[in-house]
Amino acid sequence: MYKKNMENEKNINLMDNQVISGIEVEGQIAHNIVELLNSRAQNLSEAQAQCLSAARSQAVNHLAKRQLALAADGSISRNGNALRWFGHHVGHYFEQHRLMSAGLVVLTMLLTFVAVQQLGGSSNLENSDAFLLASDLPPEAYADKGFDTWLDTN
Amino acid sequence: MATPKELSDFLIAVERRAFKQTAYAVRDDHAALDIVQDSMMKLAEKYGDHPAAEFPMLFQRILQNTMRDFWRRQKVRNLWTTLLSSFGGNDADNDDYDPLETIDVEDDSDEPSAQLARSQTIKLIERALEKLPARQREAFVLRYWEEMDVAETAKIMGCSDGSVKTHCSRAVHALAAELRKQGLDKLGLSNAIFNK
Repeated sequence: MYKKNMENEKNINLMDNQVISGIEVEGQIAHNIVELLNSRAQNLSEAQAQCLSAARSQAVNHLAKRQLALAADGSISRNGNALRWFGHHVGHYFEQHRLMSAGLVVLTMLLTFVAVQQLGGSSNLENSDAFLLASDLPPEAYADKGFDTWLDTN
Repeated sequence: MATPKELSDFLIAVERRAFKQTAYAVRDDHAALDIVQDSMMKLAEKYGDHPAAEFPMLFQRILQNTMRDFWRRQKVRNLWTTLLSSFGGNDADNDDYDPLETIDVEDDSDEPSAQLARSQTIKLIERALEKLPARQREAFVLRYWEEMDVAETAKIMGCSDGSVKTHCSRAVHALAAELRKQGLDKLGLSNAIFNK
């Protein structure tokens, strides 16, 4: 133990006497720390090691099942690969960017609504203009509040 | 596409490190296990069709993001706990706490004194690592523990190469200073850094 400490002291002195660049020194310190941390990481408790092992098995099984399913899918139908590729990648994109996808849907709905309003409104306007122009009565007659009562009484 | 064997080999190689890294970050072993498990599943589910060479970077990215999600959830939970506990009285849950349960039992295969010294040193390093700001710890772990290059670390952390270098440098300085404060110069950790 004492000898080891003495060796360590010597190492420190040697290193201090040398002119080493800052990055190298940082790297050396980091290396020493990481070495100790690695030794610690290898000594996990039995329960923790088992949990990690179970999690790993679950992940690996999931991948194996997925690959089997893909292989089976490929053997049943070799056609439509481009479509499947498109579907997979687009689906994957939307899954990855959920917020963006939701925003996109809302934006599409909003645009559709505005477009419908614009188109529907203008056609109604055109129809009413045509009706007024083609009518026997002057347009003022429809705006007159007493016109309806007069029409009813006559 | 990676095979299940490649995924298994990769996970065997990284799972223990990943668990310890997460435990230092979240300071809760159970939560750390959950996070690592989630990350493994996400890697298999979403990136199983990627080549095995991409796994280290993808896994680290997933792990860091899962940790962030955990902190977000924790923040919300803490807020509610604080609000609710302000209405309640003293809780009797802490009566069940037994400090003996938290003591780690070390595997002493070498000399007991050397084992003890080593174990104490590691504990001090772990504590120093836990004390680091999150970004500095992340940079240190990725750059030095996972041995990624600056560009890869920057990509995972979502910052520039320069920021990674700064975070790493500050982390090492902070760790060295903390360890020196604890009288760990004898560790073989150079004190040249302090004399720059």
